[in-house]
Parts: sequence; C-alpha cells; structure tokens
Amino acid sequence: MSGNGEMVVNPEAKEARIGVFVCHCGSNIAGLLDCVQLTEYAAGLPGVVYTKNNLYTCSESGIGEIKKAIGEHQLTRVVVASCSPRTHMPLFKSACDEAGLNPYLFEMANIRDQCSWVHMQQGEDAMVKARDLIRMAVAKASLLAPQKDIESSLVRKALVIGGGVTGLSAACTLADMGVEVVLAEREARLGGLLNRINRLAPGGEKASDVVEKLVSRVKGTPRIQTLLGAEVLSVGGVIGNYHVTLRNGEGKEIEETVGCILVATGAVPLKPEGMYGYDGKTVVTQIELEEMLRDGSFNARKVVMIQCAGSRVPEREYCSRICCLTAVKNALYIKEQNPEARVHILYRDIQMYGTENERMLWESRGKGVRYDVYDVNCPPVVKGNTVEVCQPLTGDVLEIPFDLLVLSTPLVARDDAAALANLMRIPVDQNRFFLEAHAKLRPLDFATDGIFLCGTARYPATVGEAQAQGFGAASRAATVLFKDKLISSALISRVTEHCDGCALCVDVCPYFAIKLEEYERDGRKVKRIVSDEILCKGCGVCAATCPKGGVEVNGFTLDQLKAQVDAALEAV
Amino acid sequence: MSRDVLVIGGGIAGIQASLDLAEMGFQVNLVERLPTIGGKMAQLDKTFPTNDCAL
Amino acid sequence: MDVGRHPKIRLLAYSEVEKVDGELGEFRVTIRKKARYVDENKCTGCGACAEKCPTPVRDEYNLGLAESKAIYRYFAQGIPSTYTIHAQYCRNFQPGKKCGVCSKICQAGAIDYKQQDQILEVEVGAVILATGYETFDARRIPEYGYGRLPNVITALELERFLSAGGPTHGHVYRPSDLALMAALPDLEKARQRARKGLEKFEKTFDRTSEEFFPLYESGELAGEDYDQWAEQVRAARKADGEFEGLRERVDKIETAHRLVFIQCVGSRDIRFNRYCSGFCCMHAIKEAIIAKEHDRQAEVFILGMDIRAVGKGFEEYRNRGGRESGIQYIRSRVAEVTEDADHNLTVWYEDTKERRVKQLAADLVVLSTACQPAASSKRMAELLNIEVNDFGFFKTPGYPPMDTTRPGIYVCGCAHSPMDIPESVAQASSAAARAAQVLSGSESACLAS
Repeated sequence: MSGNGEMVVNPEAKEARIGVFVCHCGSNIAGLLDCVQLTEYAAGLPGVVYTKNNLYTCSESGIGEIKKAIGEHQLTRVVVASCSPRTHMPLFKSACDEAGLNPYLFEMANIRDQCSWVHMQQGEDAMVKARDLIRMAVAKASLLAPQKDIESSLVRKALVIGGGVTGLSAACTLADMGVEVVLAEREARLGGLLNRINRLAPGGEKASDVVEKLVSRVKGTPRIQTLLGAEVLSVGGVIGNYHVTLRNGEGKEIEETVGCILVATGAVPLKPEGMYGYDGKTVVTQIELEEMLRDGSFNARKVVMIQCAGSRVPEREYCSRICCLTAVKNALYIKEQNPEARVHILYRDIQMYGTENERMLWESRGKGVRYDVYDVNCPPVVKGNTVEVCQPLTGDVLEIPFDLLVLSTPLVARDDAAALANLMRIPVDQNRFFLEAHAKLRPLDFATDGIFLCGTARYPATVGEAQAQGFGAASRAATVLFKDKLISSALISRVTEHCDGCALCVDVCPYFAIKLEEYERDGRKVKRIVSDEILCKGCGVCAATCPKGGVEVNGFTLDQLKAQVDAALEAV
Repeated sequence: MSRDVLVIGGGIAGIQASLDLAEMGFQVNLVERLPTIGGKMAQLDKTFPTNDCAL
Repeated sequence: MDVGRHPKIRLLAYSEVEKVDGELGEFRVTIRKKARYVDENKCTGCGACAEKCPTPVRDEYNLGLAESKAIYRYFAQGIPSTYTIHAQYCRNFQPGKKCGVCSKICQAGAIDYKQQDQILEVEVGAVILATGYETFDARRIPEYGYGRLPNVITALELERFLSAGGPTHGHVYRPSDLALMAALPDLEKARQRARKGLEKFEKTFDRTSEEFFPLYESGELAGEDYDQWAEQVRAARKADGEFEGLRERVDKIETAHRLVFIQCVGSRDIRFNRYCSGFCCMHAIKEAIIAKEHDRQAEVFILGMDIRAVGKGFEEYRNRGGRESGIQYIRSRVAEVTEDADHNLTVWYEDTKERRVKQLAADLVVLSTACQPAASSKRMAELLNIEVNDFGFFKTPGYPPMDTTRPGIYVCGCAHSPMDIPESVAQASSAAARAAQVLSGSESACLAS
C-alpha cells in the first residue's frame, strides 16, 4: 500500500516524536511480562512522547488507538511492542498510513514470539529482555526515514506447467476470466495420470470422458496456447514479468513473458521394485490394475490388495491419501463385473475419509469384499501364489491364495521435480513434493510471489480435489493478474555515492539483482553497481559484503543497526 | 449481469473466498450470522500440523 | 482483519439472508441486518458496558464453560469489534424491569435500545455458500456420559480449555474440580457470615466464643441466650469445617493428567452419521500434543477404529505425537464411560486387535464429535433452491466439485463436506475462481456432468 501522499505529520521534524504501544496480547504477553511496567519504561526512553498499553493492539480498538494518537500527539514515529512482524506488521503499517504517517516510519519490538513465548520459566530475565527489545526498537525508530512503495507493471498472462486435470482446469478457468494462458505439457498428449485410469469414484465416470471434455474445452479456447512435448528451460524475472524460455515438441525455443506461473506438474505412482515379488504381471500396482481394467485384459478371480506398499515407512513416512479409496473403488468395480470374484484387502488403517468414501467402504463390505488388518511390524509375506498375514489374535498365519496381487503404492514426486524447483528457485519438502508458503492458510501459494501450486505436485489428491486446487490456484493468480499495477516494498538496496564499482557484491546476491555498469564521468570511465528494484528482496547480503558503505538497505542502514546495537549494549 | 458476489458465512472458507474475489476486483457482500467473523477456527487454540496460533 | 478493512468487501455481520430470487448473473438477495442495539459507528469496543452489565449469560464462544453478559462481544479480537445486546436476556427488553446501565456507562454514547433490524436488498451475480458445520450433540450417545458425567467433554470444549485466552487460561482442569474451586468462595462467605453472627454474642457477654463454649457444654452457663449462642457456635464450626474440608481438597487439585480421546463419536456410526468426519483424528492428535506441552505429566490415549492422517504432513505429525508426546493409539471400539464418587472415569472398550474387553482409567474423556451440516443448511437449501445430498450437506453432483445443483451457486469448506483448514482454504479459492469465471461472461461447462 503506498502512502496516500498527504503527510499530516512532518517526519523530518527536528524532534522525533515517538509513540510506543505495548501489547498484552491477551495473556500471551501479559501472562509473563508486566506490560504496565514496560509501558512506563518506554515513556522514559529518548524521543518517546506518548505511550499506551493495549489488550490486543491488533483489534479494531487497538488500531484506532494508534491512529488517534498519531493525530492527537503529532507522532512522527510509531513503535509497537507485541508479536512477530510477520503476524501483523502490514496491519499496523496501514494504520499509520491511514492516519497520515508514512508507513515506513514504523518499527516493532517482538516481545511475544521472541520473549514471552520462549522464556516462560524466566520471568525476571524475560522482563530485562523485553526492556532491551523496546529500547532497541525506539533507538532505531528515531533514525527511520520515510519511503515510498515501488510500483511496477504486469503482464496479464499465465504459464501453467502441466497438462493433467489440474493444469487443464486452471488453464480453462484463467482463460474464461480473460487471461492469456500458455499451457506447457511434457508428454505428447494432455491428460496426465487420468489417461491411465479406468473409472472415477464415487460417480463411476470414465476417466477418459472426463479428460476428453476438458481437453476439447482447452483446445477450443483460443486464449490458451498449448505446447505439447514441451520443457521449461529457464525462468527469470519476477512477479508480473516472469521471463520464461520453453522448448516445444519440435525442438524450437520459445520465449514468453508472463505475470504468474502455476505449477501443476503432478506426481507418479511408485514402482515397487523388489517389494512383495513385484513383476508387473501377477504382482502389479493399482495404476497397472486400472490399465488392465480399462483395456479389458483383467481376468483374475482371486485378487489380494496390499495397502501402504512403500508408504508410511521410515524412508517414506507420509500417507498417500488416495490409495485406500482407489483400492476400494477398484474392488467394487471388480465385484460389479464379476460378483463371484474374491477380493481381499489387507490394510493398516483404512483411509476412507469424508462422506462419499466412507459410503463406498460400507458398500464394498456389503458386496463381499474382505478386509483384514496387518501390523506394520509383521507385514504380509508373499510365498508363490499365496499371501501370508500374521493374525495377532491367534498368532496364526492367514494364507490367502491369489491370481493377482495388487500393491497400493504411494504417489511420489516426479524425478524432474527437483530440476524444476532449482530452475524456479522454489522449495520442496522432505518428501520432495513442492512446498507451499503456509501449510494451513496458503496451501496453493509459494513463498515466491506470483508462483502457485496445485494438484498432486503439492501432495496426493483425488481428481475432484486436484481439480478444485486447479481452480483455486487460478483464483490466486487472478488476484495478481487482475490488478493494474503491482506494489512492492521499498525496503530494498540503495546504492550510495561511496560505490566505486569493486563489484564484490554482484556474485553474492542470491536474487541476481545486481549488475555492474560502466559509464563516463568527467572524461573518465567509472564503474558503479545498479540494483534491480523488483528483483531485490532487501536481504542485505550486498550491504554486509561492501567494504565501503557503497550500498545499504533502506530500513536497515548501518546507522540504524548501530543504534540498535548501542541500545542493546546500553544495559551491559 | 451483476459482477457483485454474495458470500454466505464468515468462517475461514468465506473469508478466503471473499479476499480472493475482492483482490480480483469484484465487490463482495459477506454475510455472517454471528456478531463477528471467524467461525470455528476462532475457537481453536492452535492448528495442526504446524501448531500455529489459530487466530 | 484484512476482511474488515478491504474496500471491496462489504461485511454484514450479525446478519442473515432472508430471500433469494433470480438466477446466475442476477440474483436478488434480501438480507436482514439484525439490530445489535449498539451503534457500530460509535462503539469503540472498550468493554465498559459488559463490565457493568448485571445480567450473566452463557458464553457461547466458550461453549458454556464461561459466563458472558447480556451485552457482549463474541470474542476479544473479533471483527467487527462492536458489542451486541442479547435482546432475549437483556433486562431492558423484558416486560417490567428496566436497566440501562450500559447506556449510562458508555462514553461513546453508542447504546441505542430503539435500533431496528435493517433490511437490505442487493443484486449479485453469484453466490458462494460457506456456512460451515456444527458438531454432533454427544448427548445422543448416553453411554458415553456427556451431559451427565462432568468430566466427559467434547474436543471443541477441550480447545477452549487449552486456549491461553480461554476460561482456564490454558490449564486443563477437570470440570468436576472446577466446580469444587467455584464452590469455595461461597463457603468462604458462609463462614464469614457465621463468624460475624458470633460477634454480637461476644460483645454482649464480653467473652470469646472459645471461652464460652466449654462452659456451656459443662452446664456452667445455661439459659435461652446461651442456647442461641451455642447454636451459632455450632453453625460457625460447621461452616469452618466445610470450608477447610473443601479447601484441603481444592489445594490437592491438579490439572487432568490422563486424557482419553474417543474417536468417531457420531461418525462412522450406523445410528447417526455413517460418514467419516475427516479431521477429528488429526484434531485429537493435535490436542494431545498441545496438552502434553502444557503438562509434561500428561498421558494421552486415542481410542479409534482407524487413525486417518491423510493430509500433507499429517502422518509425520501423528508419528511425532507417538514418539515425542507419548500418545498411545489403540485400535478399539468404546462401549461405555462410567465414573466413581470422585468423578474419576473409567472407559470400557473392546481392543479390536486383541478382541478383548478392557478398561482404561481417565481423568478426562474427550469426545471427538462428528462434523455435521450446519443447522441452517435446510433453510439455506430452500432459500437458494438447491438440493442437499444424503448426508445433509449441499449436493455437488459432478465436476467441478464446487458446483451445486443450480448454476451460479457454489459451495466450499465444510458446507460442502467435512474437511480441514488447508482444504477449506484451497476450496474457498476454487469457489472464488468459479464465481469469477462465470461472472467474466462465459458460463463454463468445464466438466459439468
């Protein structure tokens, strides 16, 4: 949010007029620290002309207090001592902005996450620390300078990487919203995993019908440019202007500039080499069973399915979410085609979550599908054409003959996921699935602005869930692409007159934001760096590297940091 | 054709839908029957699996 | 807070949809903005009114575990922060009695007893249903004792106990112990009253009760006055005894250490809801981990049929619960919960692995109640002319999964089906995309069956 331009308060006034707001955060802070005492302490600090303590500074009334105080006391700086800046800083900055104070003249002291929450057993020391933190914040605040947000343009175009159900849905949705879409699919045809699947649950639709509908919609939408057999070669730029190089199926290189990128690259079923006698013929995976059911080559009469084959084990801890419902779905289908067939499912926990899935489970039992629990410490053993299962109750071993053994293996991250992650500088988690910005509240966003995640590339999901995520990522992208311009923080690097072009900072910048330029001044050749204001994230590595004070970061200048350090050590 | 949207329910789902649509530029009417928004999530202490504060 | 401040979001809290006419692209909606009897433009949320309000009311946010007032704020950080008057409890709205304390106290002059409901008409192109869910009423399973045995609570109630901002500030006390603690002040008062009653006798006879009583008992002092005094002495001693007795018990009270969670209460149950509520296994694990953080002595057992940890990071979280917090997962079906004279509980269950009936002692039993369609679902379905499915949630017959049985109306979150927070958030974005897609001019037949 850029300032409304009207400066009610002159931030350059000789006398810094600092307002300090100490938050109780209910009992999160006040439960350990004496907030009244902290507020009194703050009142005695240099430059502080107004203090207040609030129950919840983030509440409407707390925000109101800040705005009121700025006006009534002509505050030129505001310090809030409360939680982490990551929680509510944008809110407090907006409050300053709305009251006519440049939002960059705001500082926070984290006396919750970095004090009351982590020093619960050290009350007295925690108070000392809280005072230190507030003193440091006040010291820095007096040296803050007003800044202006940076505005940039954007391209109303999106790149969707992956042409399975997720990518197709995302592309359709964005196109319908008026966004140009480039859809890049690695394989020679669209559809992803759905091309190998027989029927969908719970409705029983043919996967091929579902794919066909989506594909024909995509093909019939001129706003979607589809590239098959494609590969992403490089990704540069920043939100609003990502420069992507792709290679299409004919080997031609294509350059595109897009505003947002959606990662919908999917996942693949694990091939259980060496597990349970897997041979791809009598011992198969669920996806191979799907293909057999689809092409009519299935003719088994005694089917055994083993769940958690290669998942929920130390080397792959996660539960792949969809394998139980896939097994039950296929068991039901087999029974429908041949009620005499015997189907026996061996499981650890039967993960039929939600409404429809649980119903399928009951239905399958009703149709005679057998279920038995096996213990993770005593997994089934395959001996010839029989599966042996330990029965904890009797200590007996249950022997189940089969003519087809189906292993429910997990979906695992694609082998090329790591390469894409590197290319786009996006993270993966310990299971090599892409990692979203926030597990709960931002499941479809990457921490990197303008890049979004959906479908099984994120985590195993059903067709319905994956499609919903495709729509969801489209929505997230639309919140960016529908804007006229993008606003980014002013807390980035600034080159000073001390820069002499030594270029030590150029290589250390993790965002490749710094370039060395040569130009003429007074008839001599001079070198100086230039920092891209959109690529720069204000990490400060350049400022830390520069031996001459040639570059510094707004909001974290050496003077400001020195003031904080001096304030911290004051008590020592 | 109106480009406004009605969102019924001010829990986490209603809030997210409203924010997305508003950011896209649509006018949203968010109706919540309780005196404040937040729904069930506001009654939770921390959420799994990160153990983050629910508010 | 983002919602409250966004220029494009018109927040109508304390409001209900009364009528919906029209169709995709032009729905005409009538909304009733209920009267709070507080002017939201004037109210600063300071809380002085609630402090002075003389009428206690059950605190719904804390699920009845605490008391609120007739003028209240649902919870402290709620948006909007305007206070609201419960007209059905407020004395000013009852025949006869008049109060007006809040109005006198309010420095902003925000109280307005004459406020009326407002009726608003809006025209919208699309509707998104995000009406959430409600929890199963555990009293419908009487053998678990909810509502009868004080130390049997629901998972949501445990949330309130675990919350630092909750009624017990994060200490998980057994409700029976809380009741003991709550009784103490009254006994204290009774004791003081009894003591005071002795004073007039002591003054009159210029003697302490301690001196007097043995003389009375031995017969040295007799008479009607002395009889009365003796009565009072006995009463005072009784009050003393009761108070001391309770105080001793209360001093020994510790937070609940042994927690037993019973899963699938009302879910996967042929009598009630056949479906699985999706998040309760994870919810129980989380509460167990947090309880262990608050109390290192805590011992937690989770009794369930299957432990459904199917989401991203969930199986790892479940394993962490077992490893680091010592949660014991027992595959079982619970038959009954009983208590002894001190409200200590016993959970009777069948261990389905060993096929034996066993018992487990518990300080607190927590019921993971089912996620059911919100009470308003039926009415909403009628208002919007959409169907509900067999489970009572809004029917979404095909693809995309957010589409209800009428174009232009989309559903997300638990109104669709039980789901956890990341799924609700993702689906909310999906519904938003669907609405945006449709309002951008092309009614998408994207996989509509």
